[in-house]
Amino acid sequence: FFLSSWLPQVVPCRGSHWQSSLLALRASLPVRAQPKKKKKVDVKREQAQKERMKKKIKKLEKAAPELIPIEDFVTPIKYSDSSRVRSLPPLSSEETERRVLLMKKWCLFKQNQDKAEKQAIQTLVAAQQEALKELRLESEELYQAAIRRDEGLFPFEREGPSYTPPLPGYDPPEGKCVDITKVYTQ
Amino acid sequence: CTAAPRPWRLFGAVCLLRLPRITQPLEKEEEEMAALMEQIELEKSHYSDHELRKMQEEEQLRRRKESAYDDEDEAPGKTVIMAQDLEDKWEQKFLQFESAPRITDADKNNNRTSLNRKLDSNLMLLVKQKIGNQELWLLPQMEWQPGETLRSTAERAMTTFLGDHIQAKVLGNAPYGIYKYKFPRAIRTEDNVGAKVFFFKAFLQSNDLSQAELNGDYLWVTKDELGDYLKSEYLKKVNRFLLD
Repeated sequence: FFLSSWLPQVVPCRGSHWQSSLLALRASLPVRAQPKKKKKVDVKREQAQKERMKKKIKKLEKAAPELIPIEDFVTPIKYSDSSRVRSLPPLSSEETERRVLLMKKWCLFKQNQDKAEKQAIQTLVAAQQEALKELRLESEELYQAAIRRDEGLFPFEREGPSYTPPLPGYDPPEGKCVDITKVYTQ
Repeated sequence: CTAAPRPWRLFGAVCLLRLPRITQPLEKEEEEMAALMEQIELEKSHYSDHELRKMQEEEQLRRRKESAYDDEDEAPGKTVIMAQDLEDKWEQKFLQFESAPRITDADKNNNRTSLNRKLDSNLMLLVKQKIGNQELWLLPQMEWQPGETLRSTAERAMTTFLGDHIQAKVLGNAPYGIYKYKFPRAIRTEDNVGAKVFFFKAFLQSNDLSQAELNGDYLWVTKDELGDYLKSEYLKKVNRFLLD
């Protein structure tokens, strides 16, 4: 027979035996020699890396937490400029004399005010004790009800007095309040 | 345990206080001290940004006036807002604002039934009640009935005289004071010697009582004015538990 049936055909062939199908790209790395050893080294390297990271984290955690700065106690540098110092005439001796006398008067005034307040509180407590004593004489049951703690009393909230009473029908100007306080985390 | 029936009748009364809405005026020493404190604070302080700006602008103005009006570095037509202008503007705005007066109309008319009076002190409720055969001005009181606590008697007194919609906070379960009196000999018996009135304090929470149904005569008075209406013995006991 002739080899006439053999025709030069274009046969699709793979690039290498690592390419499983013709259309797919190389899926695995073309590793030639000793594939198993590489895996072990990889795992070891990765483990070593993880341990190093963990040690670093532990070191950071062990270090004492940074103290949050109190903004009120730190004077900004721009205010220690000498050009800002106020220039005023020095105080006369009469002025210092007047101030000292006023301070002493104030001291006495406050002392009297405090004494009066304490006295008022004492009479308040005495009056209540007397009332409770009389109540006990009347009926034990009412007395027990009276000395029971009032749960609804605290927390007690009240708005304090202002300088002028609220203006009826006052329309406050509109505006937005933006909070720029710095929040620190340790 | 059952005790023998006591010869004293029990009453629960409530002292309803309208707390002050404005600050009290300062005493002379307080004013002097406040002025001194302000002066010392000013002396110890440094210049603020606004003050520095004002001083610089005043310097510039003065220099420009002294030099022969040659200001080529200032482009004509450019308006500069000076710190002084800002201060004037703020002052104008402040003067234009009218706040509510501290002394109200009710103060001027001495209308003692109004709550808008004497906004810087405590006001107490007084009602006219019939005791025996006399009509007296008292703190609202009701007779205690068995089965309720004295505090609920006081609350009942409050709702009787001011209606159900009253918003008041009673301060605790214990009474603040007591007024004990014996009935006049004519009606005194073995079982009915006299009465004990227990006072409770309450703070008025809402500011307007338009919803309240006030029955009978009532007054809102300060501690100093109590003497005009209450009897001396009663007043003595009431004054003990009232702070100024």
